[in-house]
Amino acid sequence: MFTLKRFLSQIPWLGVLSLLAGLLAWELTTRLSGLPRFILPAPRHVWASFISSLTDGSLLYHAAITLTEIMLGLLTGSAFAALTGYGLAKSRTLEKIFAPYLVASQAIPIVAIAPLLVIWLGDGILSKTVICALIVFFPVLVNTVIGVRATPPALYDLMRSLRATRWQILLKLEIPAALPILFGGLRIGATLSVIGAIVGELVDAQQGLGYLLQLGDFQYDTAMVYVAVFMLIFLALALYGAVTWMEKKFVR
Amino acid sequence: MKKLIWFGIAVALLLSACAGKTDAANAPRHIKLPMGYIPNIQYAPFYVTADKGYFAKENIEVEFDYSFETDGVALVGAGELPFAVASGEQVLLARAQELPVTYVFAWYQQFPISVVSAPELNIQTPADLRGKQIGLPGLFGANYIGLQALLFSAGLTAKDATLDAIGFNQVELYASGQKDIVVGYSANEPIVLRAQNFNLNELRVADYAQLIANGIVTNEKTVQNDPELVRAFARALAHGIADTIADPTSAYEISKKYVENLDKQDKAVQMQVLNTSIEFWQAEKIGASDPQAWNNMNDLLVKMGLLAAPVEIDKAFTNQFVP
Repeated sequence: MFTLKRFLSQIPWLGVLSLLAGLLAWELTTRLSGLPRFILPAPRHVWASFISSLTDGSLLYHAAITLTEIMLGLLTGSAFAALTGYGLAKSRTLEKIFAPYLVASQAIPIVAIAPLLVIWLGDGILSKTVICALIVFFPVLVNTVIGVRATPPALYDLMRSLRATRWQILLKLEIPAALPILFGGLRIGATLSVIGAIVGELVDAQQGLGYLLQLGDFQYDTAMVYVAVFMLIFLALALYGAVTWMEKKFVR
Repeated sequence: MKKLIWFGIAVALLLSACAGKTDAANAPRHIKLPMGYIPNIQYAPFYVTADKGYFAKENIEVEFDYSFETDGVALVGAGELPFAVASGEQVLLARAQELPVTYVFAWYQQFPISVVSAPELNIQTPADLRGKQIGLPGLFGANYIGLQALLFSAGLTAKDATLDAIGFNQVELYASGQKDIVVGYSANEPIVLRAQNFNLNELRVADYAQLIANGIVTNEKTVQNDPELVRAFARALAHGIADTIADPTSAYEISKKYVENLDKQDKAVQMQVLNTSIEFWQAEKIGASDPQAWNNMNDLLVKMGLLAAPVEIDKAFTNQFVP
């Protein structure tokens, strides 16, 4: 029996076709609406800006800067969050002591403290890395705590009965048990870290995609703004994909 | 009798509706005016124009909006606002991106940007800025373009120096030693710093490049559909500028009503800022801009790489509304 759902599911590359349809709708909107380029640039304008910034090297240069900030922030924030999370998971007392500070740290909007961090740490990569790390910290921390505590008590008994050392319990039981939930936090952290990098760059930067975005805005070049935004989306998707791939590889 | 009462009520309602429409028709036109900077004595001509009722006389009510210059130009270009205070080069940059903005009234006659530096750096010419770290409000607006024009005059580009966006904190950062080169308005930051006994060297952009400075920007739609509004605005502002030039002391007193804490600041310094600004406003015909200066700026922006090609000057500015 013919159904639309069955028909659509049999079309190969449905996602790609969907994107092409979206591009077509966008182009038609710009042509039919008569909106000027600085309000809604057409796909061809954005493409031209993309090619121009790609060939002169500026797009890849700025993207590399932002990616560096993201990776450093993601690794630093995740590592610190995992260590802290493990400690809090193993000690209810520690959790009670530090919980107010941790929750308060997340209640403060990152946009509000970003200017302070730039003043304290300068307008270079360091301040952006710290902003990224801060934004990644909480979701990874929470997932680490949940993941470690989700380890079945029976498995602890089994390990102890086999005279496993503390280190063996950590490596052979707790980490593998916590990984699925930890990776959930990392996936969230990966996309949030892009936001962190951009927030820092929008406050003060001379390089990076946030700087490129601002430059486009200040020069009324909306097409360049779109290029910077799409590049950020690409980075976020790539990071998310990378974390998902790692999850599939390490969590069997 | 009942019919008479209802008839009277109907007439009364009709008359009040007509009166309402008449009131609405005569109500002043409310205009939000992006100024491009924080409230400051440098905006004295606008405050004088508002305070002395020159705007009201033209049936205009102005709300001063201290948002960024580029936001103002974008909003005018989008047809959201009728006017903005903006520097001339912003018009060319905007028109290159198809924003239909037009410069209709010249306020400053010379480009008012200066680069201030600590004396020990011995920066005497624009070429001395090579390799230096320079603080400026942001990578936008008259400060940014003025700095680039200064660098260009020495064969340099923005890549030959390190530019730090520091917001409108030039005085504080220079005074605290965090920045030893900052960009600001010639009539403002250098004067304020010297008044605080800071030594400095100053490079004025006006000495090295001919750029069209601050004025009033509108959009093509307003020029075509409401030229009388543009004419009225220009007329009122020209009057305010003339009064400010003629009596700076009175302009200072009026500005206290519009600039918070102006009365708590050093009056002598603020008067010096105002008097130095007046030097930039002096003109044979207040409001008129020089077509040759527009062409020169057009060529300069192309040479600087800020414009891919020259912009049509005919649509970028007009003197038709200058009183």
